[in-house]
Amino acid sequence: MVDEAESGLIARAQAGDQRAFTALVRHYQDRLFRFILRLTGNRDEALDLTQESFLKAHQALARWRPEASFRSWLFRIAHNTTLDLLRRRACIEFVSFAECPGGEAEPAFPDAAPQPDQRLADRQSVELLGRTLQQLPVEQREILLLRELEEMSYSEIAATLGIAEGTVKSRLARARSAAIAGYQGLTGELRDD
Amino acid sequence: MTEHTAPKHTPDLPTLSAYLDGELDHHAEQRVAAHLAACPLCAARFAELQALSAGFKALPMASLGFDLAGVIEGRLAAAPRSAAARPERRWFSQWPLAIGAAASIAAGVFMGSALVAGRAAEVPRMAALRVFDIMPPGSLCIGLESCYRKESTQ
Repeated sequence: MVDEAESGLIARAQAGDQRAFTALVRHYQDRLFRFILRLTGNRDEALDLTQESFLKAHQALARWRPEASFRSWLFRIAHNTTLDLLRRRACIEFVSFAECPGGEAEPAFPDAAPQPDQRLADRQSVELLGRTLQQLPVEQREILLLRELEEMSYSEIAATLGIAEGTVKSRLARARSAAIAGYQGLTGELRDD
Repeated sequence: MTEHTAPKHTPDLPTLSAYLDGELDHHAEQRVAAHLAACPLCAARFAELQALSAGFKALPMASLGFDLAGVIEGRLAAAPRSAAARPERRWFSQWPLAIGAAASIAAGVFMGSALVAGRAAEVPRMAALRVFDIMPPGSLCIGLESCYRKESTQ
């Protein structure tokens, strides 16, 4: 679950070595930020929440045990921290961030580095997919992010979200189905069958 | 979304989705692969899932744009060391403290009992009470005539 170098860093960080903890932050900072940004749709909030998540992780580090995946543990903290904010914003049930005060329909990614893709090569398709993702409920969005972007296994997703693996399987299928329907709705190719 | 009602379309959407993720066991994986090879409808559905997955990987990858680790390092250095960061204390690590405290209490009790048991503990008669004597300390009298011996000159 955790490679040797990372477990060494975690052990040192648990013993109070702040430089080791900083190295862990450096390793995960962009990934955690990306995950939170896709959930909140707001860069400033995502920055704050990323920082808050790492500080919470530092406080709780003594309780982490090697049996658990460190990445799942860290993403779980980020997930809880972000959901707390979304609940406070009362936007968790909103379908679209465009309808949410303070939310952005299309988050800005100034330092984006798009990768070419065989199937959705053109920029418009990627933008539409980004919009589709933002329009999904948070529950579906986060499970897609953990699987598709973080490439977590079902067991890791289950540990991150605190749900059963069977629920991961069904929720992920529903999220994919909703994403396909949403994308086809935006492109006008939605079928009725 | 396509709903497969015919019995031959055994892989439902969760199964196809799990097949895409490589989360099925070997036998289930073989069954789905065989079905996909024979069923254009499910094959098309599976192609949609594959395209979606590839599309997500093409999404822009946002980054912080600065080193958050440095900021956190500064905040941790400024803050007092948290209890969580300290190594966990075991019960036996408290022994020296407990022994020291017990020794201090025992020494206090011993010294206190020595004072009470000895003569030194007797409360001396307070000199201040002497003011109620007929003759105050130093035989000084501040006004009563009886204090003074009257020498009869008569």
